Parts: sequence; structure tokens; C-alpha cells
Amino acid sequence: MRNRLTGARFAGVAAALIAALLLGVMPTARGAEAYNAPRAADGKPDLNGIWQVLNTANWDLQEHAARPGQVVALGAAGAVPAGLGVVEGGEIPYLPAAAAKKKENFENRLTADPEIKCYMPGVPRATYMPYPFQIVQTPKYILMAYEYAGAARTVYMDKAPANPVDSWMGHSVGHWEGDTLVVNVTGLNEQTWFDRAGNFHSDALHVVERYTPLSPDALTYEATIEDPKVFSRPWKISMPLYRRLEKNAQLLEFKCVEFAEELMYGHLRKQSSK
Amino acid sequence: MSHRFLTSTSGLAVVIAAALLAPLPVAGQSQSPAAKTTVPRMADGHPDLQGVWDYRTITPMERPVALGTKEFFTDEEAAIWEREENRRQDRDKIDPEVGGLMYPPGGVVPYNEFWYDRGNKVVGTKRTSLIVDPPNGRLPAMTPEGKKRADLRAAEQRETQLGRPHADSWEDRPLQERCIVGLNAGPPMHPGAYNNDFQLFQTPGYVVILNEMVHDARIVPLDGRPHLNVRQWKGDSRGHWEGDTLVVDTTNFRRETSLPNSGASTHLVERFTRTDDNTLLYQFMVDDPTMWTRPWTAIVPMVRSDEPIYEYACHEGNYAMASILAGARAADKAAEEAAKKGSK
Repeated sequence: MRNRLTGARFAGVAAALIAALLLGVMPTARGAEAYNAPRAADGKPDLNGIWQVLNTANWDLQEHAARPGQVVALGAAGAVPAGLGVVEGGEIPYLPAAAAKKKENFENRLTADPEIKCYMPGVPRATYMPYPFQIVQTPKYILMAYEYAGAARTVYMDKAPANPVDSWMGHSVGHWEGDTLVVNVTGLNEQTWFDRAGNFHSDALHVVERYTPLSPDALTYEATIEDPKVFSRPWKISMPLYRRLEKNAQLLEFKCVEFAEELMYGHLRKQSSK
Repeated sequence: MSHRFLTSTSGLAVVIAAALLAPLPVAGQSQSPAAKTTVPRMADGHPDLQGVWDYRTITPMERPVALGTKEFFTDEEAAIWEREENRRQDRDKIDPEVGGLMYPPGGVVPYNEFWYDRGNKVVGTKRTSLIVDPPNGRLPAMTPEGKKRADLRAAEQRETQLGRPHADSWEDRPLQERCIVGLNAGPPMHPGAYNNDFQLFQTPGYVVILNEMVHDARIVPLDGRPHLNVRQWKGDSRGHWEGDTLVVDTTNFRRETSLPNSGASTHLVERFTRTDDNTLLYQFMVDDPTMWTRPWTAIVPMVRSDEPIYEYACHEGNYAMASILAGARAADKAAEEAAKKGSK
């Protein structure tokens, strides 16, 4: 690359750049940070709203071609939509034993994915499930309310209580770094997965989330995932979150317990007498 | 919870009523929700209702019949009530063979005292019931259909208390056992066995009610939009301000609510008024014309709490449902075998 930018050619490029900057038509290198987000009453960026991803991360965090589903009766309706993946660099750095476990999870995904039982999805999975969630932002507390399973978690921005015990949605403590909401999530149990492809973690999971306003109707969501029992190094996912713009948008109930009961308890139902 | 009191408080009430021979004047004890005090306010001028609110109390939903028109306890009467009620409610003091509280003799006392967090005090107003209308502090008369519904529910509860739960499938079990709605989370919220707390959040355009019981966030729009057409387990809530009172109107319940015996046709109006730094008066009006012959209203004064709301992963930890069903199948099998032996 270096050799190309030599002599007259370099001078020409530089001149063009300077001209563009002077004219104000050149986007800055870090366009996201140049966006001036609307403010809440306390002067922080206003993240209130109903948000949802438009991707297939919940099927598989990594790049994947479309593939058949596992329930024959569902045909094309049950197939897995393709996706470009949301993992920075593409690879999830599993330790060798964990890589084998991921493979096993993938093979058993029809029965082993906790989503099937309507269990709370954990973090970060709650963010990119194919359901909306609402950010309810106040200066001291930010509530993340998810449509899926009615899961919810409170991000403590002020005084955070001690975390008593591991939980499904973890213990979230937040702060602002410029216009970015940074949430440190600990205390997650080992029972959730990252996606329907069997990507998983242990109870040593530590997630740092970053929510950055991108435009009036989009946020950039990033999550750094660290779990020394499962991964050889921290790794990162990122994706846009889009505002649900319908005038009447609201979270509806997806109390999925009743959709999982036949699956979970059907074998214990009284059989009609022979 | 109210039905426990329907059937089980009258004996105690007679004792207390007898102990308090002279009826005491109630004048001056009434605490008006309209009492003007300084409450914190939001930037938009509306009262700031935010925080964690605690609604534990042993004040019964219905006033014991023997208390007649007695609307408020004196301090001394309240102390007697608390002492007696705390003793009576103590599950560790109930011998299952003898029974007690709502448990019939020879039945099952499923939780010991360790699990309860119902509080041990009457409400701060010292009212003798949470129900304030009808004026007798008791649920209104039931409709004929309502009577059937209540009788069926009471009969099923009795079978459960006797260790014979109706459990051909999970659908025979109450929504609370299935972790679909919280026992006391409402709407409307009403004091129950434990997790009697919620956090209120206010943002421009919304109020959110986050109940600890079954981690439900009820997000209430304040922009005047119409009710949904779909039905939901927690109904569909819409809010507005009337002066300093937040009013939340809920319809479109899907089936039964978490309030004993109220059903899909329930129209609920909740009113939240912060009367001082530490008190949120929570009033709710229930109108289910299929169940009761007139609407009724209760007031639960809630107390500000410094405790956080924890995650209550009800369904995720619901080992009870599989056990109840497995137990019922084992009982079926035992009955079948006994019948075979009997026919030989």
C-alpha cells in the first residue's frame, strides 16, 4: 500500500481530501460518534424506545448459509435463514474441550436449546432475539424489558446493590462513556446459550455491552464476551438495533410458558383410558 | 388470598370484637388521599412516583363480619390484631392433622414459615380491611355465574389442600403454579405470601410497573392511545394523570386474572397517589359484572423500600409442576391397582 501513495499521486489525493473536508462533504472517519443524539432530561443521550435487530444472530452468531430446520413438518417455514454473522473476525475462540461441547450442542439443538423451554435468554442473547425490547431510561435505573418470555433486567446507573446469586439475566451495572451506555454484566448462570446453534458459555461469563446512538432510529450494539473456562480470549459481537417506528408500537405479551408445557410435561398428562 | 379470610377469619374476629367491647369513634382517623404534602416531582411537573414499593401487610382484603361497621382500628386494637394474626398465620404452628388457617384437618401444609414474607403489620391507615367500597369492607354479592365460579375454585382448592390436586394436565393447575401470572402481581397488585414488591419507572410517555413476582414489566403508555384488540394474561393497560394521581385503566384480560375469581370481562382502574416521601396509596377498582353484582374498590398503602427487585425465575425453577403431575399419575396408578384387587 505504501508504495502507491508516493510522489505526485499522494499529493493529488491529499489535496482532494483537504478540499473535500473544507467543503464539508466528506464523512468523518468515525461517523457514528459525530452523530449528536437527542438528550434525556439529565443531558445523557436518550435511548428510550422499542428496539429490535434485523439479523439472524439468534439462529447462529457466525456467518452461515441457509439450512434446513429440524422439524420436517415445518418445511420451509422452519428453515434457518442465512446470515453474515455478527462475530468480529468471524471466529469464536473456543478452548478445545469447549469446541467439542459446542459441536455436541449443535447436534442436540432441537432439544437442548433453552429457548425451546421458554427459559429467560440471558445476556447478550436477549438483545438479538427476533422480538422487540424496550429501553426505559431514567437517570438512576435503566430497565431493559424484553418481549420474549417477559424477561427483564435493571441496569443500575447509580448505587448498585450487591449481587446475591447468579441469575438468568445477570447483574447489570452501567455508566456513560461519552454518548455510549456501557453495561457491565456479571452474575450470569451457565444455563443459557448464545444462539440456536449451540454457542454457549459457563458461569464465568462476563459481558460488557455498549449501546451507542447511530442515528435517530438506530443504535450500535456491541458486546465483549469473556469466559476463561470456555474461550481462549475475549471476543466481540456487534450489530445495529433499529427503532420500531410504528406509531402504536408496544411490547405485547409473549408469555411462552404455555407454548412449552406440552413439550416439558406432556409425558405426565393423564392418558385417556384404554 | 381474600378467600382465606372469607372462610377463616370470622372466629378470630369474634374474639377481637369481644375484647374491644366499647366501639371506638372513627372520626378523625380517616386519612384522605388528597392530603396535601410535598412530594418529589418530575421535570414535567407530575409527581415522581419512582422507586421500589412494598405492599406487605396482614390487613385482610375483607373486613371480618364480626367487626361490623368498624372501619379503623385504634393503635391498641391494631396491636392486638397483629399479635393474634401473626400467631394464627404462623405455618410452623399448624399441625396438619389438626388443621388450621385454611388447611383442613388431615391436609397438607405445603410451605413452612421460612418461605413466607407477607409482613407482620396492618396497613398504616389502620383500616380493618383493604376493601373500602362497599362500605362494609366486604366483596359485593356474587352473580349466579360468579357463585358457581367461586364454588368450583373453592372445591378445587380444598382438594389440593387435602393432597388430591386436580392435575390431569398442567391446564388444571392455577396460572400461578404454571408461572404465567404472579400470585400477587396483578394487575391488580394485592398482598400475598411473598414477593410483595414492585419498582415503578417513569419516562416521558410511559410508566412501567416491574413486579418481582414472575419478573413482569407492565409498560403503560400515557399518550392516550386506544386499548388493543388482543387479549393478554395481564390485560392491556393505558394511563393518564388526574391531577397528582396516576390512573391506569386495564381491560382485555385473556381469562382469569391473578385476583381470585375475577375473569376476562374485568375492567380494572388503578390509582397511584404519592402522599409523602415514603407512602404510595394504591387504590384499585374491580368491575367484573360476570362475577360480582357491583364494582368494588380496595386501597393498599405501600411503603417505600430500599431493597432492590430480584430476579424471580419462576418457570425456570418450576420443579413443582412436574412433581404435581407425576404425583397425580402415581395416585391414578395406585387407584387402578386397588380397583383391580378389589374386583378379584
